[in-house]
Amino acid sequence: MTIRRLFLGAAAMLIAGPALAQAPVPGWAIGRPEGSTLAPHAPRLTVTPLDQVPVAALRLPPGFHAEVYAHGIPGVRAIAEGPNGTLFAGSRGIGRVYAITRNADGTTRTRVFAQGLAQPSGLVMIGNSLYVFAVNRVLRYDNVEANLDSPAAPVDLTAAFALPTEQDHGGNHHWKFVSLGPDGRIYTNVGAPCNVCEFDRDRFALLVSFNPDGSDRRIEARGVRNSVGMAHHPVTRELWATNHGRDWIGDDSPEDSLLRVRRTGEDFGFPMCLGTWSDPEHNRGRACSEFSQPAALLGGHVAALGMRFYTGTMFPEQYRNQVFIARRGSWNRNRLSGYDVVVAKLDAQGNVTGVEDFMTGLRDDANQRFLDRPAEVHVLRDGSLLVSGEQMGAVYRITYRQ
Amino acid sequence: MILGRFLAAAFLAAATCGAAVAQDARRGAELATPCLQCHGGNGRSQMETIPSLAGQPADFITIQLILLREGLRQAPAMAPFAANLPDRDIEDMAAYFATLPPGPPDDRRPRDPALIAAAEALVGPRHCATCHVADYGGRNQIPRIAAQREEYLAAAMTQYRDGTRAGPDTQMNGAVVGLSDANIAALAHFLAQK
Repeated sequence: MTIRRLFLGAAAMLIAGPALAQAPVPGWAIGRPEGSTLAPHAPRLTVTPLDQVPVAALRLPPGFHAEVYAHGIPGVRAIAEGPNGTLFAGSRGIGRVYAITRNADGTTRTRVFAQGLAQPSGLVMIGNSLYVFAVNRVLRYDNVEANLDSPAAPVDLTAAFALPTEQDHGGNHHWKFVSLGPDGRIYTNVGAPCNVCEFDRDRFALLVSFNPDGSDRRIEARGVRNSVGMAHHPVTRELWATNHGRDWIGDDSPEDSLLRVRRTGEDFGFPMCLGTWSDPEHNRGRACSEFSQPAALLGGHVAALGMRFYTGTMFPEQYRNQVFIARRGSWNRNRLSGYDVVVAKLDAQGNVTGVEDFMTGLRDDANQRFLDRPAEVHVLRDGSLLVSGEQMGAVYRITYRQ
Repeated sequence: MILGRFLAAAFLAAATCGAAVAQDARRGAELATPCLQCHGGNGRSQMETIPSLAGQPADFITIQLILLREGLRQAPAMAPFAANLPDRDIEDMAAYFATLPPGPPDDRRPRDPALIAAAEALVGPRHCATCHVADYGGRNQIPRIAAQREEYLAAAMTQYRDGTRAGPDTQMNGAVVGLSDANIAALAHFLAQK
């Protein structure tokens, strides 16, 4: 199978070669074998009725319980929490930012807070201000929780951040994930401008940080193909991030990965290497040992997205400071993988000792279908864990009772 | 454990069936009456620049109507119709159009062998059939482009190339990057003749 895939890949390159002179093969399709029909799954941008939200299918370890926290939120992804407990949720295709508040009776109310934005997937709260990253556009909504129904016009920080535009990215990996560091800086991704290619490694495939006003850009990590989830370790304060492996080179490698950034600016190897895996087309003769190694491998094409360290006290002690990771699920793979939440277990030195299933049941292997796509995890103040289900527009809440 | 798995599988089947039943093509047919003025009585447009909707995948129509409603896709003629459309109306109309047999407009022009040949050199490297499938009939969020109106196809590809249109993802923007106007004209003719 692997040899056949390599052969197909080589054949595709030969076919693509002469075609380049005529019209370039688009970045995302480089390496795509002739005849493959794999394509991204259709998103659902309409409201899913509550009785179709697949909460009953969720499987968790003993003692854990899942409920629907909020629903009717098409495309829900990243979650940021305001000081008064309002949850803000970003999206991609539907262009909305939602505000989710809790009613006195424990139910939730969801408002469309902002709309008509290009892929507003990156959200971060700093004090009372919500920062929305919609590709390169950066908007700051001040005093946001006091104005949920009629937000004031945002402050436009786009020019200060000067992030690459969608056109600069060639339409690849231009959407953002954003996180606030313990140093008060804003951390985000600048993805690769292609599936795999040669590009400016000081400009793309980076983790970067900024002052909240957009000044003092700093490269935190290089050679990171695309990260759509990151968080700082609550004790060591190191930056950790999820990272997506390239497509069209096989079902199982290179894997998605969990990265631990120990030194500012270290290089994780894209496009030459990922861990010990050497890219057969883009390695340029480099030894993969030259590059920083991932803290854990998360599986081929699983689409590891949001990740958070568990800092609550509701879950058993063994989960404290462990990493919950949402795996949105594969498309560039012959059989579905991911569509779950896993936990990366860390020892006292911060080394990953294993990656375990946590929330499963959304992937139907027999019929090769999926019921929802976990895109983000968020630890609430009571220690329960929220999981956003992008496909069904629902937010699940995971609690623990002995 | 096995029982649990069985129950989970039964639930999956139920959930999927529920979703299928929720879209009411008959209700959609009534709602879609005004649409037929421009998109054609049988869903095959006879009007320049207006696309045929007959036989389009329901997911495609649903997503495009959402993008139009949200102002994320600009098509001024559609703006008043899409504004404030409820999700259920959109899904029902999409289900209706998906049931209509597809076909070319009555005024389709004759085949131009030179344009067909030019397009045949492009569809392989551009992997058009990977997503739109071998007969270009589309699937899920990916539209039927076979026998679509030629000038509409050319306009859509031009918008994707020039960054003035995006789908729910950016696959098409990537797929048409770098195409010349002549490339697009050839592809539009080739697909319209399918």
